Amino acid sequence: MPRRTDIQRVMILGSGPIKIGQGAEFDFSGSQACRALREDGFEVILVNSNPATIQNDPEMADRVYIEPLLPDVVRGILELEKPDALLAGMGGQTALNIASELAHDGTLERLGVELIGSDLEAIDKAENRGLFKKVCESIGLPVPLAIACDSIAEVLAAAEELGNWPLLVRPAFTLGGLGGGTVWNTGELVEISTLGLRNSRINQVLIEESIIGWQEHEYEVMRDSNDNCIIVCTMENIDPMGVHTGESIVVAPQQSLSDRDHQHLRDCSLALIRELNISGGCNVQFAVNQSTGEIRVIEVNPRVSRSSALASKATGYPIARMAAKIAVGYTLDELPNPITGHGTTAAFEPTLDYCVVKIPRWPFDKFRTADRTLGTSMKSTGEVMAIGRCFEEAFLKAWASLEVGHPHPRPLTRADESEGEGMSERAHKPLAERTMVEWLEVATDRRMTALIEAFRRGWSVEQVHEVTRMTRWFLHRFANIAATEAEVVDCDAASPMLIDEDDLWRWKGLGMSDAYICDALAGFPVTGYNALSSEVGETAVMRRRHLFGIHPRYRMVDSCAAEFAAATPYYYSTYEGGQESGIDFIPELQERKKERVVVLGSGPIRIGQGIEFDYCCVHAVMAIRESGRDAIIINNNPETVSTDFDTSDRLYFEPISLECVTEVLLREQAHGILLQFGGQTALNLAIPLEERIPTLGEHGLQTRIFGTSPDAIDQASDRQRFAEFARLAGLRIPNGLTGKTSDDVRAAAAKIGFPILIRPSYVLGGRGMEILTNEQQLSAYLAEAYIAPNKPLLVDEYLGHATELDVDAVSDGEQVLVGAIMEHLEEAGIHSGDSTCFIPPQNIGEEMLTRVRKQTETIGLGLKIVGCFNIQFALQGERLYVLEVNPRSSRTVPFVAKSSGVPLARIAARLTLGEKLRDLNIPEPNNTLVCVKVPVFPFIKLRGLDPAPGPEMKSTGEVMGSDITAEVAYLKARMATEIPVNTTGGVYLTVRDEDKQGLIPVALQLSDLGMKIYATPGTAHALRDGGVQCEIAYRIAEGKSPDALGLMRRGEIQFIVNVPTISGGAIRDGNMMRRLAVEMNIPFVTTMNGARMEVAAIRAAGQGPTTPQRLQVSYLDGRGI
Amino acid sequence: MQGIGSAGTANGSGNIPPTMTGTLGLVDAAQGLLAAGELEEGATGAGVLLLADGGRYEGELFGAVGVGAGELVFTTGMTGFQESLTDPSFAGQVLTFTYPLIGNYGAQLGCSESSGVWPRGVVVRHAMEVPDHRDSVGNLDSLLRLHGVCGIQAVDTRAITRRVREFGTLLCVFGPLADEESLRARLEKMLPPDLEDLVAQVSIDEPVILNQGATDHEGRALPRLGVLDCGIKYNILRELSRRFEVVWSPPDIGYGRLKKEFVIQALFCSNGPGDPAHPGKATQARLALAAAVADGMPTMGICLGHQLLGLASGLQTYKMRYGHRGANQPVLDLAKNTVLITSQNHGFAVADPKHGMLAQHPSGLCSEVQENLLGAEVKVSFINSNDQTVEGLEVVGKPAFSIQFHPEACPGPHDASPLFDRFAQMVSTHLRGES
Repeated sequence: MPRRTDIQRVMILGSGPIKIGQGAEFDFSGSQACRALREDGFEVILVNSNPATIQNDPEMADRVYIEPLLPDVVRGILELEKPDALLAGMGGQTALNIASELAHDGTLERLGVELIGSDLEAIDKAENRGLFKKVCESIGLPVPLAIACDSIAEVLAAAEELGNWPLLVRPAFTLGGLGGGTVWNTGELVEISTLGLRNSRINQVLIEESIIGWQEHEYEVMRDSNDNCIIVCTMENIDPMGVHTGESIVVAPQQSLSDRDHQHLRDCSLALIRELNISGGCNVQFAVNQSTGEIRVIEVNPRVSRSSALASKATGYPIARMAAKIAVGYTLDELPNPITGHGTTAAFEPTLDYCVVKIPRWPFDKFRTADRTLGTSMKSTGEVMAIGRCFEEAFLKAWASLEVGHPHPRPLTRADESEGEGMSERAHKPLAERTMVEWLEVATDRRMTALIEAFRRGWSVEQVHEVTRMTRWFLHRFANIAATEAEVVDCDAASPMLIDEDDLWRWKGLGMSDAYICDALAGFPVTGYNALSSEVGETAVMRRRHLFGIHPRYRMVDSCAAEFAAATPYYYSTYEGGQESGIDFIPELQERKKERVVVLGSGPIRIGQGIEFDYCCVHAVMAIRESGRDAIIINNNPETVSTDFDTSDRLYFEPISLECVTEVLLREQAHGILLQFGGQTALNLAIPLEERIPTLGEHGLQTRIFGTSPDAIDQASDRQRFAEFARLAGLRIPNGLTGKTSDDVRAAAAKIGFPILIRPSYVLGGRGMEILTNEQQLSAYLAEAYIAPNKPLLVDEYLGHATELDVDAVSDGEQVLVGAIMEHLEEAGIHSGDSTCFIPPQNIGEEMLTRVRKQTETIGLGLKIVGCFNIQFALQGERLYVLEVNPRSSRTVPFVAKSSGVPLARIAARLTLGEKLRDLNIPEPNNTLVCVKVPVFPFIKLRGLDPAPGPEMKSTGEVMGSDITAEVAYLKARMATEIPVNTTGGVYLTVRDEDKQGLIPVALQLSDLGMKIYATPGTAHALRDGGVQCEIAYRIAEGKSPDALGLMRRGEIQFIVNVPTISGGAIRDGNMMRRLAVEMNIPFVTTMNGARMEVAAIRAAGQGPTTPQRLQVSYLDGRGI
Repeated sequence: MQGIGSAGTANGSGNIPPTMTGTLGLVDAAQGLLAAGELEEGATGAGVLLLADGGRYEGELFGAVGVGAGELVFTTGMTGFQESLTDPSFAGQVLTFTYPLIGNYGAQLGCSESSGVWPRGVVVRHAMEVPDHRDSVGNLDSLLRLHGVCGIQAVDTRAITRRVREFGTLLCVFGPLADEESLRARLEKMLPPDLEDLVAQVSIDEPVILNQGATDHEGRALPRLGVLDCGIKYNILRELSRRFEVVWSPPDIGYGRLKKEFVIQALFCSNGPGDPAHPGKATQARLALAAAVADGMPTMGICLGHQLLGLASGLQTYKMRYGHRGANQPVLDLAKNTVLITSQNHGFAVADPKHGMLAQHPSGLCSEVQENLLGAEVKVSFINSNDQTVEGLEVVGKPAFSIQFHPEACPGPHDASPLFDRFAQMVSTHLRGES
């Protein structure tokens, strides 16, 4: 069936803010869907609250709404726009839930809007456990066995029948499985079941077989309305059942199933998608018992998902694009396959001639107190993917892409257990065997390091299997990595310049980086491979390699194992010992007239470096292509738009490491490279790359770093150099000192005086940044902090009661363009990434704004910035301080672009290529609306993390609201965070002494709004003096009733103002209350300004529904640039 | 309890008659691995693979000691190495696997498609030494040694694939690097295996009734089917045995003998290696097939059997550039307008009566134009949706059809398996009409 002609206008729902479990993959799928539909002439209306995505760029959709993704809001937009159809399958669970609600309440029918792409019945069947089980049973597919029991006698009989331990006890009808659990013997079974029977509303428990330890396999399936079905990709999890697939290391294609096994699962997948009547994409998860061959169907996702994004990038098959086309009537055989071209169609199963490995990126490097255990819920913020011709190569490349810990395996020492004082000494002692076993046993982010370590220490595959239950095939691969590493360590070559050619080919073929080889050759020195001299370091290995002409081969991800001449410009590197060069070459590279510019991506999404940088990279690519040059992307994040096969002229799926970037530059004979769009990852390569450029010249490559020079980058980043610059330029900066030892730091603190702001240098997202108020806190901090001569700590004067301003600007070296000045709601001291900010500033006078613009210009021109830069200012009274200059694009660039209509990243890219601001046609900034950006936090997913913003960044994403008034704009953004804005009920207030006076007007307003006030005795006393009626809620420690926790549990509290004393250390007062608030989804604020704004939002919410604002900016005005 | 160990296809598992659950007594190529201790030493050390167009690839030898030589082809299936190696259609060829990790789950009993390993050499990126699967009885290396087949690994299989894709299938030889000169001399003298009577090398010599007295689940005798073995895969025999009493016959048995001596009620012609127009046993099989169709007997052909039906109908067959070998070939059913993902392994094809010869080999190898022996016209029923080549024929007005792809899969997807039911249905309708 061809394209439907009865629909013209389609609304697509996005997935809202980036959060754990719902990440950038939906920007990728939504963007693909927009493009797929618009190229067919559909008018696309897009709704998404997340300002950082590409999909809600003004040129991605015809009409864009950056509005909360809530049923009421979407209903309002539907009424306004009256589209013909709603496509909800691209926006994850968020979008599906909204579509489901709007269908069930009759809105869609009333407005004549057809839900396309996902069938509600199918969604219900797939997501309701009971219905799903029935569906599976009706077509003979096995689901985990479970027996319902009403008594202990029945429980014992059921256990007998199921046969194997452990068993799962699930009480029927309790909230969140209260009173259930995994049991390993009859004693535990009786104990837990007794409890379960009592807790259950109907006195029933389910005794279920446990499939912990089974293999987990995934199938990505596509189906069209004509019942054509294909499997796009199979994937196998290295972590056995029990760890969420999003938390597992995943391999594609599956490795350990025979054809017979695989075809059986394929049949099951097709039977399921047909029985559920899903058209579009879906994902089926199976558990397989490797020793018996038994299988169980675990679940089906009836939509594009994180897994489908991975499958798309692993195979080259654009699942979301095809799903969107299917939704508007096409069948698979009618759709050309954009990868293989030449008459091939989308009704085709990709076949791979490589191995793909995905590793999740966890935030435990930042959140040291968070519980690292991996289980059935997600904790990772992003992921990396790597491709190789063998598993080992793909795995080691993925490891190198993670940018956490070491870039390659290293023998584990006691310093890997914990950082902090004495770390250098502990680095000499091997990790205790007991600790290693623990790391193997309990799935955490550390397990992969322990796997290699176990083989390094001589463990056998059987021994490791016994502890981890991982499939032996993978364990053999890890053993092979350890064995090859030992070969390097024991090798006769005293220096890289003596390595044998055959050895080098073999090591490289296994995926060992130059850095890994030099590190192993040097016997893994405690000081790290970076400290090795140039004769024995990474560059020496590269030189040896180049001497033998050992370069990677670049292979195409063509979805057909080279059977057809594919058109896709999507490559990965591999070191195969083949003599044939020019395989998968770039046609006529040497003859090309076009200049080639490489853009470094930002790697995995992590806290502090999110999707915003991918947005910037994509815009840089657009600018490069518009300027008539070829744009080349290097990135390793499978979730993003930048790694879509048709975003750039050529895509290299590679670690963003010095070695990989060097080789791509050589292969591409690139004219230059852009570093300022990929966040800190890319920027950190500036100096090492600059040092390599002469070496590249030896290979005949004349290339350069475009934009701000590495020296200027260093001048902006190095505090001493920057302090000197600031002094000469007449800029005020906070007092600050650097400490290379603990004693240095203590002396610095004494000199500056508490409170101080302390942090490691050269970090992103304020990792390890804290405000300390006394010696004790400093000692506690030093015990955990990693400090070494090459990793000093920065100690700054803490500016109290200061307003923070963020500026994003661009410069061409002669002129500076300020994109926007943002005013933070929170005082300086809360990480800028975690603060709420406004465009335009709401409380700053024009004179001060002029000063800010002037200083921005001084800094841009003074540091000779070419391209983007971001400055954080603090305003204390009339004193304007420069806190930080980042000579790169920032996380607020997309927010600025969508608020003002000035596409900063794109303009910056043009400037880096040598154009001048005066020659560009810059669109006039739009200033009709107030725009607010509000962060979204992962507190619900990460236990052990204090749910309060501080100087260290904790948010995973953000939302934007815009409206005529600041109050409504803020209200919209607050609603978009998915934490309710409650307009009735009780409020619990507890603030520091210094804020008690300021709280009185806030409390009076809340009282006026009809809310009941509870306060701690001290706060209550002050409030009553100020004429506020309130009730006492005791501190938990006081042990009196009522206390805050009790009130919250009883549902008496709908909003909390909790301003803690300046933080210090991990455990803070109020932590327990905030934790409970997170779990009960009760809104809370931890600053006075936050409290004032929330009250304004509550007032605005009481005035009826908000009016959706269509995004009115357009970059098209700037097309002429 | 349902498990992936259980045999059968998507829809076939419920239809197995109780009498037919046992083994057919087929000899499995992996059986010898149970006594693997007695295997001869394998090849080791540096090897070289030489291509007729001058291509040269150094690698490491494994498998049996000796020289691999034949026509170089590639298969893109990611699983099913054992099924491919034991598929008699690969006789005469050197088989390259495009997936780089081969043998992950080992060789297994019950996964062989014949009693032998048929390629004359195997080219892989990595031959996995230690397999991991509950059913594994040996690794790729030992399976090749057991059957005296040579292998070469650590070569750039993607480069080889691209070469074959661009220049067409070509002759090759590989062996010890030290013997490069003699290998080159051998390559220069080598003749295309298509000239050999490959069908004669892989088919049985005497007819066997495979499942005498087989009945359906209601106890009725199954119709008797003559099966022309041109190099048949076991899973075709398994599929047919569920629906018929099978007379497993040599390709040159002749239609007359099958009809008179064995009283068959339907005829099937199998897959097999080589050129369908070869004057040897393939031609004998073609004549039997033509006679059956002309006689009005229900008839089905798969792969080579399909090409033979095409030739018998007066269509030409030709050598394809590099053929279709893999588990992901999309085939368009022209009647239903739906796509099947199919398992394929063929280097020759039937020329499209409308479009002529698509994706032709540079050698231009093609059959002569011959007369239609069927007494009826054929029409194209399936085409390959990638390159539009003919994938199925139907004889107009007669109970006969043929398909280029493999509905028995093994390896590969089961999308096409209903075609066996269609044949069984066709036979039973025909028989009801007769009685």
